[in-house]
Amino acid sequence: MKKKSFINRRQFIKAMAGLSIAPAIGLTSAAGADINQFGKLADTFTCIGCKRCMSACKRWNSLKVERNELVSDKNTDLSGNNWVVVNLRSDKKNKTQRNYMHWACQHCQEPACAGVCPVSAIKKLDSGPVVINEKKCIGCRYCYQACPFKVPRFDFEKRVTRKCTLCYNRFPLNYKKPACVAACPVGALAFGYRHEIIREAKKRLHDLKKPGYIMGIEEAGGTAMITLLPARPENMGLIQAPKKIINQDLDKIRITSGGFMGASIIAYAMYLYSGIIINPDKENNDSTN
Amino acid sequence: MIQQIKYKSHSALDAMGKKKSFYIWITCLLSMILLCGFALLASFVTSLEILEFSIKIPWAGMISTYVFLVAAGSGLCIINALGAVFGMHRYEILGKRIAFLSLTLIVFGMLCIVLHLGHPERMPIYNAISPNFRSAISWMGALYSGYLLFVGLELYLLIRPDLFKRSLASTGRIRTILTLLTLEKFKNSVLVKLLENPGFHKVIGTLAFLAGISALSMLGSVFAHSESRTLWYGPYYPAYFIVSAIFCGYAFLIIMTIISHKTGDDPMPAQVMSLIFEMAQVLALLLAVGLLFITCRITLGLFNPLQQGPLLLLLKGPFMVGFWGFEIFLMSILPVFFLLWGAQRKSLPSVFAGCIMVLTGAFVMRYLFVVAGQIFPNISKDLPTYLPTLMEIFVLLGVFATFLLVYTMGEKVLALKETSSSSLPEKSNDLIEEHIIKSGVVNERL
Repeated sequence: MKKKSFINRRQFIKAMAGLSIAPAIGLTSAAGADINQFGKLADTFTCIGCKRCMSACKRWNSLKVERNELVSDKNTDLSGNNWVVVNLRSDKKNKTQRNYMHWACQHCQEPACAGVCPVSAIKKLDSGPVVINEKKCIGCRYCYQACPFKVPRFDFEKRVTRKCTLCYNRFPLNYKKPACVAACPVGALAFGYRHEIIREAKKRLHDLKKPGYIMGIEEAGGTAMITLLPARPENMGLIQAPKKIINQDLDKIRITSGGFMGASIIAYAMYLYSGIIINPDKENNDSTN
Repeated sequence: MIQQIKYKSHSALDAMGKKKSFYIWITCLLSMILLCGFALLASFVTSLEILEFSIKIPWAGMISTYVFLVAAGSGLCIINALGAVFGMHRYEILGKRIAFLSLTLIVFGMLCIVLHLGHPERMPIYNAISPNFRSAISWMGALYSGYLLFVGLELYLLIRPDLFKRSLASTGRIRTILTLLTLEKFKNSVLVKLLENPGFHKVIGTLAFLAGISALSMLGSVFAHSESRTLWYGPYYPAYFIVSAIFCGYAFLIIMTIISHKTGDDPMPAQVMSLIFEMAQVLALLLAVGLLFITCRITLGLFNPLQQGPLLLLLKGPFMVGFWGFEIFLMSILPVFFLLWGAQRKSLPSVFAGCIMVLTGAFVMRYLFVVAGQIFPNISKDLPTYLPTLMEIFVLLGVFATFLLVYTMGEKVLALKETSSSSLPEKSNDLIEEHIIKSGVVNERL
């Protein structure tokens, strides 16, 4: 009797192919690293819009206070000195449903910004935060273009791109939470291991007994920031990030090879052009000979 | 005898002539450079923000001008390969002009980037210390650095016989400098023999071509890698960038050649004129191919729900006039008639007008591509304007003016103007040898 193997031949070949390609394109095991990564929960059902998180963020990170930024309750935008914003948004399908949206860097599990920074100034730390090294940043703003949530903003005074760091510099000082979470008076913000935060978000949604949506589990391949919303992000006026988890590096190789294929076709067309069109010089030389 | 073999001096001041129009032209360029200086100073004193019309659209005029100039420069490198790599000897007569034009276009394109960056001084340091091989910008920078090196070397190889002739005709310090530049004292060394080897010219030409076309494709990838910018995303733009760069390169080359010959006293050689008409026909064909690309892009994009939004901005949104008026009509349709008519009737003004239309349309096309690509997904309501700020326009004018100034000077100093006796690179070594013999005769007589 044929012994049943643990994996079949096809699965084995697939696994081996994956293992051989993975180091070449710089893949890391996100699933394994997930357990030790921190995350932040923003519960828009609980948020009262006091904006203490905004001022705490400014205090801790020594950010400048900009004109009009606390006046508006609807259109406060992220900037080089505004890493966290709170805006009142209503559900497009149900206008009576109005919630305060806490919006900041989502700290993607596979950050597109870090993948495009030409000088490797952006890093995803092992503990979860995605951090810009401001002393290295050249201010090209390519990270802003690549970010699925359009978060990193240019600081015109410092001439670098800046964004939320999830207060990673508070951990060595034994502060257990980011400044915004510590300042929240109603517990709308929470901080902990990402998997625990996801569990907490699900629990809160279950306890609410209302329809809702948990943003950050799958968006852009998963994010450290988990937001509890009353409706889908696009209905709440937030940017809808693609849910598919694509391998950014393989995708880049695919697109670039498209360009190189075009270049090869152009080179072949030039070769044909140089052969098909009669060369007057050659003609003249031939005739003189 | 000395009079006969004395090479016509091309010292900068002599060659610039004393035409009034020349001085007016230089004054205009200098005024624009002054305006640019004012805008840059203002941006340093106040904030870099005055060069941007919206914080949400950080890439606007500077980046689109960078793409416009650099793509045209790379397109010229591809055109140059027709002579240097693919053996179309008739293109070699324009070799020096193409190499110099390509070099200046790319250098001034990069100047736009330098002026746009927050900290340009960090770029060479950290690009060397900690490059990100996953980033298209990093690859593009490396490829363009290689390209500049190869094109610089190619230009040197092309102008070396000229420099040699001039060193023979000059005296004193100029002669010393020219002797150093031509490596005359090391004429028996391996390096000089390598430089004089026609096979080496071909290798450098091929390397420049490969670096140029790869860098150009990578420039398209810089935009195409941004998954969240649905207008840019995908393999379409790296390929389209190559086609559009070649037609921009052809247009630049034709315009510069015509201006150069029309402003001088010497008539345009028949060889150059016939080449211009041939290039006009190729340019018309490339414009048709480009139009086909645009049609495919629009048609396929409209079926894709992710790309519909940004494409509709171009088709019937705030960029409608730019798209239909400039990109389609002025850049892709109208010039085809001008170029074909001009090539058939041997009318240089018609070809010239066609090329001007192509460049004007292409400039607007680059601007629309860069700006419209940034509307989705984060700008839900139309902004009050999508035009660059006055200060940004001043900076762009300054960049163009400096490019034209350098090109005008380079044209005179490097004697780029083609003559009926312009030698082909393969024959240049014979000329050098001939002149060495003649200079020996001169020295003996002296």
